[in-house]
Amino acid sequence: MNIDTTPTARPALLRSAVAAEWTKLSSVRTTWWTALAGLVVMAGTAAQVAIYALVANTNDDPADDRGIVTVGSVLIDSVELTQYVVLALGLLAITAEFTGGTIRTTLQCTPSRGRVLLAKAAVAGAVTFALGLVLGGVGALVARLVLGEWSSSPVAGTIGDIVAVAAYLTLVGVLALGLGAALRGAVLTITVLLATLMIVPLSLQEPDIDVLNRIADVFPGVAGAHFLAGDTEPYPRLVGLLLLAAWAGTALLLGRAALRRRDA
Amino acid sequence: MITLRGLTKRFGATVAVDALTVDIAPGRVTGFLGPNGAGKSTTMRMILGLDRPSAGQALVGGRAYRELRRPLHEVGALLDARAIHPTRSGRAHLLAMARSNGIPTRRVDEVLDTVGLDARAARKPGRTLSLGMGQRLGIAGALLGDPPVLMFDEPVNGLDPDGVRWVRQLMRSLADQGRTVFVSSHLMSEMQLTADQLVVIGRGRLLADAPIAEVIAGSAVAVRVRSPHPDGLAALAARLTAAGADVQAADRNEMTVTGTTADRVGDLAHELGVRLHELSPHSASLEQAFMELTADSLEYAGGPTKGGVR
Repeated sequence: MNIDTTPTARPALLRSAVAAEWTKLSSVRTTWWTALAGLVVMAGTAAQVAIYALVANTNDDPADDRGIVTVGSVLIDSVELTQYVVLALGLLAITAEFTGGTIRTTLQCTPSRGRVLLAKAAVAGAVTFALGLVLGGVGALVARLVLGEWSSSPVAGTIGDIVAVAAYLTLVGVLALGLGAALRGAVLTITVLLATLMIVPLSLQEPDIDVLNRIADVFPGVAGAHFLAGDTEPYPRLVGLLLLAAWAGTALLLGRAALRRRDA
Repeated sequence: MITLRGLTKRFGATVAVDALTVDIAPGRVTGFLGPNGAGKSTTMRMILGLDRPSAGQALVGGRAYRELRRPLHEVGALLDARAIHPTRSGRAHLLAMARSNGIPTRRVDEVLDTVGLDARAARKPGRTLSLGMGQRLGIAGALLGDPPVLMFDEPVNGLDPDGVRWVRQLMRSLADQGRTVFVSSHLMSEMQLTADQLVVIGRGRLLADAPIAEVIAGSAVAVRVRSPHPDGLAALAARLTAAGADVQAADRNEMTVTGTTADRVGDLAHELGVRLHELSPHSASLEQAFMELTADSLEYAGGPTKGGVR
């Protein structure tokens, strides 16, 4: 019938796919509930972490005093829990499509599996990053309010920590997306994520053997923690960031392979 | 134009689609018939590049679906009316589809109008849509890109009589505009009213690919014979069987004869002096033709199955 005049160059196709993914993500309630839940968990966890520091500083035991605490460090401790809420954005962007059967519509509209995943990663990633900045701001604010005179919030350092937290959450979200595409089910994906982010590296670190610690350092959660903490050991913080990004990228490639190979 | 060449899909040991070679031509409605589990949906999914063929190929306009860049402009398809996110509105669902293929927003409202979904219905979340509304939404999605090829999997499921009539007219007009229209259904009577061409499959194999009139004509005409004299009727049955006809006794006074004509049965009855109370030919319906065509493929339906066929 009509002759299609819309541009079909690769960047134009990706832009269209991104627009479609944004329409999908913004038109379901889960997205907004996830954002709200993220805010609540971040505020709650930051308050708790800050209260611990406050108690340690003001109780009778001088051994546990922590002195002035930066709000950024409270923030970073709070991310450990908050990430499991926020990664739902990336996770559900794909697993909800398998559950509801809409993956078929999606692949009908955009047959390139790689393009679909890339568009999902771009949208879920951007939304998670923006949410991460807001969460970082809220966490820092709560920490400062709770700690009061025991807090320090240097502008540059705090902003750096907030951006780092947002970047960390984004990469974990993309990791969840890629794994979700490969494993399909939300529950299975969450289980594997918990194992990779926390359980396996913790078990490896438990006996405190050098070789096992080294292996644990390569896991995404640990790499991310080194990046957030600004460590210089066992590797510079940039390496931590790159390691986490490599995990996210590999998960996307796995997801693409699964989408290409398996029947939808 | 949809081209299937030796299209095959195996799930483990089960052959869901078996070396299907068919051309589905533009300008007419092609009905896709087969019993449940015959492989209709699997075939359609392979045409859309969703399932990978085990062998052979499915082409749309000469190209594999996965190679299409803005496929909604080339193929529109309704597969599963239930496939919409529970909290996403129908309009947002279509909007996402439109954006993915560079289709303007105004086209979304156009197709919503075409399928008769008003603004209120289009704003409702997916889980509250009735099956009928879901079908209309799915058809709207198929029409979005104004494509030359359209596929509908069981489009009248869940529609009220008005909706059924509307779908029928829509298929007709789409075909009259020169488009390829490929519709699967288990409702043979519906196909009889809508389709020009029939593709019939059973157990994944092609059973017929012919104009609908030909499929009906190819099936046997049955003649009902009723007589007050059971003995005379038995004698007539014996003569008919000897002449190569197929006789099935309904009871002592009635039987159904196939493989011959009513005229011939009447002549023989006259010869034998058997009094008849009824001698009526029953022209075959598509339903009958379909039952005959798929009889073999259904024979195993009650038996144990190896693995599931989706």
